[in-house]
Amino acid sequence: MNKSWRPRGLGLVAAALVAFVAVGVASAGAATSGATRAAQNPFAHYGKITLNVWSADNQDPGPKPVIVALANSFHARYPNVTVKLKFYGLTDYLKIIQLALNSGSAPDVAEGNQGYGTDSLLVKAKLIRPLTSYVKQYHWDKYFPPGAMAQFRWTPDGQTYGKGPVWGVAQFGQSTGIFYNRTALKKYGFDPDKMPTSFAGFDKLLAQLRPKVPKNEPLAVIGDKSGYESMHSYGLVQGAFLPAIAVRNWIFHAPGARYDTPANIKALTLYQQWFKKGYFGNDYNAVDENEAAAAFAKGKGIFYLGGNWQAQVIHAGLGSNVGFMNMPPGPSGKYVAVGATSLPLHISAKSKYPDVAARFIDWQIAGPQSARLMYAQNQVPAILGAPAPPKGNPYMASLGKGWQQLVKDNGLTLFPDWSADTMFQFLGAQLQELMAGRETADKMAKAVQGNWEAFDKRIHKK
Amino acid sequence: MSDASREAPRPRRVTGRAPGEPHRVAYLFLLPGLVAYVVFTLFPVVQTVRLSFYDWDGITSKAWHGLGNYRELFGSSEIRAAFGHSVELILFYAVFSLAIGLFLTALMTHFRVRGLMFFRTVLFMPQTIATVVVAQAFTWIYDPSGPLDAFLRSVGAGSFAKVWLGDFTWALPAVGLIGTWISFGLVLILLLAGAQRIPQELYEAARVDGAGFVREFVAVTLPGVRNELLVAATLTTITALRNFDIVYNTTSGGPAGRTEVPSWLMFHDAFEIHRVGLAAAIATVLTAVISLVALGISRFYTEARQ
Repeated sequence: MNKSWRPRGLGLVAAALVAFVAVGVASAGAATSGATRAAQNPFAHYGKITLNVWSADNQDPGPKPVIVALANSFHARYPNVTVKLKFYGLTDYLKIIQLALNSGSAPDVAEGNQGYGTDSLLVKAKLIRPLTSYVKQYHWDKYFPPGAMAQFRWTPDGQTYGKGPVWGVAQFGQSTGIFYNRTALKKYGFDPDKMPTSFAGFDKLLAQLRPKVPKNEPLAVIGDKSGYESMHSYGLVQGAFLPAIAVRNWIFHAPGARYDTPANIKALTLYQQWFKKGYFGNDYNAVDENEAAAAFAKGKGIFYLGGNWQAQVIHAGLGSNVGFMNMPPGPSGKYVAVGATSLPLHISAKSKYPDVAARFIDWQIAGPQSARLMYAQNQVPAILGAPAPPKGNPYMASLGKGWQQLVKDNGLTLFPDWSADTMFQFLGAQLQELMAGRETADKMAKAVQGNWEAFDKRIHKK
Repeated sequence: MSDASREAPRPRRVTGRAPGEPHRVAYLFLLPGLVAYVVFTLFPVVQTVRLSFYDWDGITSKAWHGLGNYRELFGSSEIRAAFGHSVELILFYAVFSLAIGLFLTALMTHFRVRGLMFFRTVLFMPQTIATVVVAQAFTWIYDPSGPLDAFLRSVGAGSFAKVWLGDFTWALPAVGLIGTWISFGLVLILLLAGAQRIPQELYEAARVDGAGFVREFVAVTLPGVRNELLVAATLTTITALRNFDIVYNTTSGGPAGRTEVPSWLMFHDAFEIHRVGLAAAIATVLTAVISLVALGISRFYTEARQ
């Protein structure tokens, strides 16, 4: 549930692009296909088959055109396999996917969502199959360092997260950071090429900017209508105070993990002060994440604190005036931020062609051209060892660098709402209370820990 | 439906056929309605009550949970708050809309209104528009860059401009006012229908006796529309209690749960966090509350009548 963050619009442009890419890929496929290729098709014995694939990565421009193009090139490579794609908006998708996978017409490949909200149930109800043999066959363990792979691991009873077999893998790297409007920074006398290199420096920059910017304008734009969005901007503050592993342990319900630690309370207190000082303006509770990103793209505010999945939307508005960087590190010197891969691709336990499904997943995450197609949509490939972004696109380079820094420092905290099925809503609401100054950091942290413990008890008593 | 048909007077035949025979035939006629009622209403209700005693994620096997869901329901401050919000919404859906409806009825019976048909149509309109559309329209109206705040600023009341649907204090009243807007048209139509049946002589008599606007309303109009008032009060109160679509499409329960209502929580528990048993328990309690309130309203009126 981490990502109702789906930008919309610009469908026509993307459709044109998809058509363009598809035509290119299809003709390339036709040119090389022939007797040799047919012999190399290990799925030929199935005859003409259809692979049903469901996805909630429906942002367009963004991930959707990438997935469509890769599905087309997959068909060109394995002509007897027709891929039928179905896209959904995330919040709707999460309500139907477990029922669809349980039904008589389950898709062969379907995205789930990491954490106790969705994947836990899919595993527990045996609706998807463990991918252990395919991990070996396609060397997926080389694509994801152990810390990242943990988000796909469950014990077969669906109760213990981060351990056990791998049940899915994903293609996009999605992390949070700071988008900055270069023109706006210059306007207030700051050099966008000399951004702060420490968290304290960024905190100071905000303090220096506040008196210079008109009172009714926010410094940093965020949307928080649904509550969960604040988890992203809070994660950027939290990362300066505690290591990513502390958050991950809490998500995985590792023994001894807590939310109400002194370090986290300190981070929550500072986050609350940022609101008190008016850094975020006052309308964030009325706009959602996509609206906030769109407003920033139109020139509102100086910073946008949020996910790189908004990169293409923001770029469409600000063009070369936008820059991206990770939140500079705290005293530890390590980069930390909320982030993970995109939604994991699962294989239905009912699929008649699990081997084709696995090949399709591999094609999505590491197939020929997959990185190039992603870069064309300002998306970051999730896998280690992906080809470098094309030269001459500094924006894409900064997005790629942001993801790589986090992977290298083991600094992706994953999404805190994965920690319990209630947390998407509960943590979101508690952060809203904190932001509004209606609850102290101490009380809020204790409430969140209480909710986490109640869930912990609920899953472990069974 | 079947209740009504069962209560219909049966023809009593004294001669001819053997006693009891027509009865059986009557049951045969009742059968189709009864089957539909049992399959589509009674069975789901019973099933929901049954599920409320289980712990179930909607897919894997159910586990008997006893009164666990109810204990959780009554122990949860969040769920209690949601029922509290519903009570607050009754103020907007029922009380306000009844007050407005009564006032307009009083006006329309006292003064000759030109183009009554037109006003009736316009005022009833909110009832006919899909609630999703209404919710979208009001989301726009309440937006910080929307017409309401723009109006407040233009008349120099900019300090009252707010992020209405994101405000901890004002979100619930803002949602409630949408309900008032939707409900009062229905109330008005019902009351006007009742008022039209009041004999004109009563008004003439009242006026001869020197009754003014208020006196006439209290002595003639109000007693005349009592039955319609009962129907309107019941309908609007039930709408308030089971409100889901407006909340879902404007605030989704936010900010920080300030506009959560039982129906929304029910939906959230069943479809978003897969706790079907708890959702069924909320549904059961909500059904009981609605039945009690409806019963209470009709009691109140029966007693007031005597």
